[in-house]
Order: sequence, then structure tokens, then C-alpha cells
Amino acid sequence: MRHGLLLTAVATVTIPGLLALLAVRAHEQVAAETGVAMAAAAALSGQSPAASATVRSAGRNNLAVSGGGPLTVLSSLTHSAQAQGMSMLDKAAAAGLATSYQGTELVSQAELDGGVSTVSQVWHQADGGTVVQSAGASTADAGSALETASPEGVFGVTKALVSMLGQYYVAVYQGDGSVVGRAAAVVELYRPDGSLAARFWLDKQTMVPLRREVFDTSERVVSQDAFTRVRFGALSGHQVAAGAGQAQSAWVTAAAPAKFLTSLAGAGWRLPGRLPDDLPLYRAASGSTASGEVVDLEYSDGLYDVSLFVERGTLAADLPGWQRVTVDSQQAYASGHAVTWATSGFVYTVIVDAPPEAVTAFVAAIPRDGSPGVLGRLGRGFERLGRMVDPFA
Amino acid sequence: MSHHLGELLSAHVDGELSGVELDRVHAHLAACADCRTEASSLRSIKHELRSLAEVATDTGELTGRLLAMTGQASAVPVRSLQREYDDYERHLRRGLVRRSTRREAASRPPGRRRNRYVLWGTLSLVVVGVGTAFGMGGGGPATGPQIQPQLEVFDVQHAITSGDVPFPDPVEARVPVVAATPLCVTACC
Repeated sequence: MRHGLLLTAVATVTIPGLLALLAVRAHEQVAAETGVAMAAAAALSGQSPAASATVRSAGRNNLAVSGGGPLTVLSSLTHSAQAQGMSMLDKAAAAGLATSYQGTELVSQAELDGGVSTVSQVWHQADGGTVVQSAGASTADAGSALETASPEGVFGVTKALVSMLGQYYVAVYQGDGSVVGRAAAVVELYRPDGSLAARFWLDKQTMVPLRREVFDTSERVVSQDAFTRVRFGALSGHQVAAGAGQAQSAWVTAAAPAKFLTSLAGAGWRLPGRLPDDLPLYRAASGSTASGEVVDLEYSDGLYDVSLFVERGTLAADLPGWQRVTVDSQQAYASGHAVTWATSGFVYTVIVDAPPEAVTAFVAAIPRDGSPGVLGRLGRGFERLGRMVDPFA
Repeated sequence: MSHHLGELLSAHVDGELSGVELDRVHAHLAACADCRTEASSLRSIKHELRSLAEVATDTGELTGRLLAMTGQASAVPVRSLQREYDDYERHLRRGLVRRSTRREAASRPPGRRRNRYVLWGTLSLVVVGVGTAFGMGGGGPATGPQIQPQLEVFDVQHAITSGDVPFPDPVEARVPVVAATPLCVTACC
């Protein structure tokens, strides 16, 4: 009789364990599917007006390296020009940390609700921080709240991003130009197929970026940023100090993004696990907002940056400032450059510096709720059971 | 033993013989010790079975009375029990029922019973677990708190990581344009 009880006890522990294992496997499969969708999103940031059906196959070929094909245009460029171009971008990233400046920046780019131009006042303190005060072009200096930017300055030339550029683009020094009366070195980024991806003007005296243009695969201008006024030297300091106070966010950056994702997956979070052929995950962080816990995933090839924010829950019924859109029967909400939607118990908000059609196709590529099937329903049930018994979930 | 009188002996014990047959049986029993012994055994068995039948009948009557108190009909009619007893006794006499049946059931290896319990217990756990998961997996995916995406917070985070100027908020701070007009497309300006 004791043996019978023992066997029953073992079965009581083992069977649910095996079932839970199956549920985890199902969950990982769902996460992998989400990862594929995220890969499509990354591809979309390559400015391709891809239809949803071609999003996945388009891959990052629209963005960058696709396997080392012949570089028709780049073959005519000298190796020294290429090496010099990358070296200049490295110096620009370093200069962003070492140089103080303030100025007025004009940003023009396309968004979901049309193209926009923004005028921003920028204060950047060497080895300190950056604050930005933005206003519409017609109401310049009207004054909006100070916002915090990267401590490495503006124009997207940071050490982390520049370090990735070499894997996907070829940087070429193209000669000299000028911006707002200052001599500048012009560096261009090319994709492996030879198409122009971006152009930078770097101040020859300080190497700080003065202007940037980003192009899609058809070499159409997607966005451009430029100083319309800039002054280098020490700042009065009060603006940066004020902005620095706002910079004390609750974001905690993960030392190892991949491990961070694994731990979250174990707790039931549905996050893109890997993007093998597209924009790589290079940064992950967690934080808290008024809505609750948020996970921030950053994907980039050094030029395009996709921010994906994921929260557990459902979208509120009332979303002020968001415009309801329907994409491929998927209900979503757009606000300028951002799109948010809910699926499978999570709210996804993506911020992509990409044309509207790219963002739209990205939403269409994300797995959505529907009939989950028997296995899907079982997996979801075990996941919910796991959350009930896991106090850390 | 029963080759002496055969089924006549059982019929005699049951009181079913009369006339010539009854005389012949008595004559044989008077001369045959084996048949007397067997007749005695049969009577003992019959007595025991009758006692059991009376207990069952009493139980049936009690059950019937209890059921009658609850307004339900008797679940086990007394006549039915009596009929089952008579059938059993008849089969016993004909050798169709082996007396060792209950003994064999009692002596069945306990391991097989345990295995059966474990099997059914495991199956029950699986059914309960899968059923619970299936039930919890339904009812729509909308669970959790109501989220209002904090876009201003996300914008700042995106700006810090991307090295770009934060997107301005509120929306009215922006100037809609038809397209992003290039400031300059040459490297000479």
C-alpha cells in the first residue's frame, strides 16, 4: 500500500511538471514567432514601403548587409577613404562626449500622421548631459518642457551605435562641405548593394555632427537633422542641470540582454527572443511608469534604432492623443512615430524612425489574437496557472 | 460421491421428491454412508445460504423502508434477492459456480490492484490538469491591468538610446508638412 501511495505521490509531482514543461515549450514557440515578427519590424525600419506579405522576406536586405554581395558602387572607392570614414565617425562619437555646445536643431521626418518638422533648442554639456526643448517651427522658442537626450549629444552618433555600423555599412569620407558657416567633413554610409544609406556632416574643428540625412533603399530622404545655429564652448549650465534632474528615470539596463530575455520568458513575458537575420538586439532595460512595469528592448544596426516597449495588460479604453487605426484587421493606435497595440495579454509600443508605411507593415506583421487552437489554449492556460503559483511572475 | 444418487440427492435435500423416487433415495441413503454424508453437507450449505439470504432480505427490507421514508421506491426488491439466491443455489448444485470464486478474488496479487489505482490516479490527475489548463486558457486573451502607454517616457528613453532629439510632446508642438523636404542634398553647402 505504501508503494502505491509513493507512486501516486511521484505521479502527482511528475505529471504536472511534464505538463508545465510542455506549456513552457509552447510559450517559447510563441516567443520565437514574436521574434520573427520583430525581425520584420526591424526590416521595416529600413524605409521599404513593403507590403505586409513581403515584410518577412524583405528582411534587412533593405537596410544593410545581406551576405556580402558585390559592392558595385563601393568597389570604386579606395580602402583608405573607407577606413577614414569610419575613423571619422568614431571621432564624432568621442567628440560628442568631450565637447560642450548649444544650438538650434531642425528635424524633418515622415510620421504616421504625415511629415513633421520640429525645431529644438539643444544644450549639451561635455561629460554631462543633454537637454532639449522642442517647439513647432512656427512657434519657435515658444517653449515646451525640457527633455533629456543622450549624454553623447544628438544626431544619433553614439559610441554604441557607431560600433555596430561597421557590421552593416561602409563609411566613406567624401570630402568637405559646410554647415551654418562651419567647415565640415562629409561622411557617407553605403549599404552593400551600393545604395546610399546616410550622410553626415562633421564639424572639422571639433568633429561634432552638424547635420545628418538618412535615405531609404531608393535613396529618397527619410529624415534629416541639422543645426541652424550652433555655438561651441561652455554652457551656462542651468538647462542641463534642470534636465539632468528629469533624467533620473527608473530604467535599469540589463548587463546581458539575452539572459534578461530568458529570465523574462520564464516569467511569462512574450518578447522577441532573437533576431538572427535582422536588426540585432543590443540593449534591454526594465523600468516603471505610471502604467506599471515596462520592458524596453532596443534593436539597431547603428543607423536605425527600433525601441520596443512591452507591458503586461491590455490597452485602456480611452487613449488620449492616440489615433485609432486598423491595420490588416488588427486594431492599433498611432501617435506620430509610435504605434501601440495589445495582443495576448501584453501591450506593445514601438517607436521607429521610419516612414508610415514601414510602421504600418510592422504592426501587420506582429502575431495577433485569434483562435489559438487547442495547443495554444492549453499553453495559455498553463501559463496562467504558472503565474498563479509563481509569486515572482 | 454424487454418482450414487446424482441430482436426486440435491432434489431430495430440496424436498422435491415424492413417491417411488423418494423411497428409492431413502433406501440408498440407508445403505450408503457416502451419500448420507453428502446429503448432510448439502443441507448445511443450504442452511448457510438461507441464512445469508435472510440477512440480505432484511437489509433489502430496511433499505426499502428507509427509501420509503424519503419518498423513493425500494431500490432492491426482496423478491429479486430471493430469486438471485435461488439461481445461485441452482447453479451451485449443477457445478456451474465454483465456491472458490471469492477466495480467488481475495487472493489476487495486491500489486495488480495497486497498479490499477496508480493508473487511475494518474489518469485522473492528467484529466484534471489538462481540463483546468484548457478552461483557464479560454475566455479571451484580455487579462491584466489597463495600460495607458506613457509615450513621453518612452520618447525620452528612445532618444537617449538612439542619440536623437526626443520627439516633442504635445502634438501641437509639431508642424505637419507634406513631406520631409531636404534642406540640401549636396555635400557642397
